[in-house]
Amino acid sequence: MKSKLLIFFTILFISLTLFSFKSSVYKMVLDFSLKNVNGQIISTNSYKNAKGFIIVFTCNHCPFAKLYSKRLNDLNAKYSKLNVPLLAINSMDSIVYEEETFELMKQKVKKENFNFPYLQDGMQSVGKLFGAEHTPTAYVIWKEKNHWTVKYVGSIDDNGEHPEKATPFVANAVDELLQNKNVTQSQTESFGCRIFYRKK
Amino acid sequence: MMKKILIAILISVSVINAKAQYNNMWIPDTLSGTTFNLNIKDTFRQIVSTGQQTITGGINGNFWGPTLFINKGDVVHMNVKNNLNDTTTIHWHGMHLPAVMDGGPHQTIPPGTTWQPYWTVNNNAATYWYHPHLHEMTMDQITKGVGGLIIVRDAVESALPLPRKYGVDDIPLVLTDRDFSSANQFQVVPYGDSMLTNGTLRAQYSVPAQVIRFRILNGAIERSYNIGFSDGRSFSVITSDGGLLNAPVAVTKYLLHAGERVEILVNCTGQNGTSVDLKAYNSLLAGFVAGGENFPNGPFANFLGKKDFNLLHLNIGVQTANPISIFPTSLTTNVLLNSANASITRKLTISDSSASLIPGVAILGPNAFVINHRLFELNYNDYNVPLNNTEIWEITSTSVFGHPFHIHDVEFNILDVNGVAPVPAQAGWKDVVFVPGKVGPNGTPQVVRFIAKFDDFADSLHPFMFHCHIALHEDEGMMGQFIVTDKTTGIKNIEKNNPLFSIYPNPTSAKIFVKMDDKNASAYYVKILNALGRTILMLPRPDLAQGIDISHFPKGIYHLILTDEKYKQTASKTFVVVE
Repeated sequence: MKSKLLIFFTILFISLTLFSFKSSVYKMVLDFSLKNVNGQIISTNSYKNAKGFIIVFTCNHCPFAKLYSKRLNDLNAKYSKLNVPLLAINSMDSIVYEEETFELMKQKVKKENFNFPYLQDGMQSVGKLFGAEHTPTAYVIWKEKNHWTVKYVGSIDDNGEHPEKATPFVANAVDELLQNKNVTQSQTESFGCRIFYRKK
Repeated sequence: MMKKILIAILISVSVINAKAQYNNMWIPDTLSGTTFNLNIKDTFRQIVSTGQQTITGGINGNFWGPTLFINKGDVVHMNVKNNLNDTTTIHWHGMHLPAVMDGGPHQTIPPGTTWQPYWTVNNNAATYWYHPHLHEMTMDQITKGVGGLIIVRDAVESALPLPRKYGVDDIPLVLTDRDFSSANQFQVVPYGDSMLTNGTLRAQYSVPAQVIRFRILNGAIERSYNIGFSDGRSFSVITSDGGLLNAPVAVTKYLLHAGERVEILVNCTGQNGTSVDLKAYNSLLAGFVAGGENFPNGPFANFLGKKDFNLLHLNIGVQTANPISIFPTSLTTNVLLNSANASITRKLTISDSSASLIPGVAILGPNAFVINHRLFELNYNDYNVPLNNTEIWEITSTSVFGHPFHIHDVEFNILDVNGVAPVPAQAGWKDVVFVPGKVGPNGTPQVVRFIAKFDDFADSLHPFMFHCHIALHEDEGMMGQFIVTDKTTGIKNIEKNNPLFSIYPNPTSAKIFVKMDDKNASAYYVKILNALGRTILMLPRPDLAQGIDISHFPKGIYHLILTDEKYKQTASKTFVVVE
């Protein structure tokens, strides 16, 4: 009886795990376009050689997201050369939050010397497409036929204040994908400042 | 023999490890004076000693907020800036002040907005606190750590030989518990697996060998703490929530429920070099007391349920200069309210919605605890309380669970619990009273009565709240509200004109002045919005003669919306800020 129960719960656990993974990781994403701080429209389909993208939902004001500026520059410096560029997206509601305006995004890029596009998701549509809940949250998407598949979702790494002690989740995922391997850790917890979506 | 040696080694190593695992307890910073700048923000802090930082809410700092020292009789001004990325409110728990300054669910502060309430402190010296009170978000925002202590000083308390060196012999203790995810993040759950004392896991603190005063707040989401010392020593309770008791009351245990505060004295004289633990003896709690249940699984299961656990490891060190070494024999003379002066007994009920079917009242769903057989609605007023009324509130509970009942606006005196007068340690000024749960489904309903005087602050628009201080219950709707009315408020059937006023200078760069056309009119509320419609400043009952400081506003066009005191009608004007 005991072992039957155990089997039942094991199956239940596995199905729940698979179900929850299906709903987030292995999701397909279509191409999208957003405005960069320099006014240029950036589209995923304009990167003809891109194997994938590191998509990071971030914002101006979130103290925890602010810790990652240098690490985002480092990720882009390393992986854009390997055709996996980084795109940072701000989906915060700029009507409600005074620190999230396009003007202040521009200033942030200048101050922090971002070497990657910082895109404003003014309609919050791309944030909703990904289901991003917090800043910072990272997604690694990979090209498969005519669409992008989410291969990793979660934190950039596991230590905001001490990068030297951190396990670099995003970098590990991209490294594995570049070696045509499956991503070992495809999902980690996402946390930070909550992104509130406007109701229609 | 070998086995015994191994066990002995194992035990000693565990003891050493256990000792090494203590973290030095954090003491909140202090602010004093009459103007307080509080910046509420999303932030983070290293709470778990290794690994990821925890996302927190902090006021000025990175968890919790500063302890505010205020003096009875002073007018205090609060500049509360909401830099969270959500709306919030800040409620001044225990403070007697106007409803529009109270910080309940109606006094919301949108993100990016500064709210400027002010009031004359007329509470007695004791420990109070401030915390978010946004309906359905209170648990979430308190879990983040948004809140802080308020210490009121007055002439009576200052004249007593009591420990008063903050952080040395007068030590604030904010008790709460949290669950951490595998990535060290707070989980929004009623009970945590880990005790947090002043935001510190496994806290230890060094105190001098003399009389120590602890100001203890139960800031938990749900749990009660049955406080005592590991050596069973006696300690003395000197305050209830809202002021000194007449005399110290010696006890060996004190049960503190969510929202309650207590100040205790403990004598450590002559104990230099020893240590003792302050503990929660929650194994002794009845099953209807929060933390006395022992759920094996489900959302209420937790490691601390029905167990004894450490709150604080105390290392007793060298005595300071001029130590307090004895307890005073008397503290104050409280003149408690006389039930003969009560003009009404209001009868309230607490019930479990699924178990309290009365004719005509729908089931509200299982597991909802309710007051007066209904869930809270922002637009439903339970009572009109006439200004200056002395009232008895009689709460009859058929709930199987105990609830710490909190009322805003007033400090009250407990009359009785099931006909029995309160124990001496509760026979003072209170703002939270524990309403026990009945024992078993067929148990006797529990009746708690308290008496309060609703003086000073009438307001026909903004209500005061009463609710269960278990944040989960409150968020789920275990709350009601009342309006304090006086003869001049609530005028009906007369023409209500929009207020007429002018503003000057316009354009301006430093201050904007408002002049009411009617000399006798005053402002109930002023809001200033920027050109995008974002609220920048919220001023309940501003002192118009002082002008409104807009010197920090970026240049641009602003809208000033004024609500007048008498008719509660609004009108707006536009002004320009230039550099």
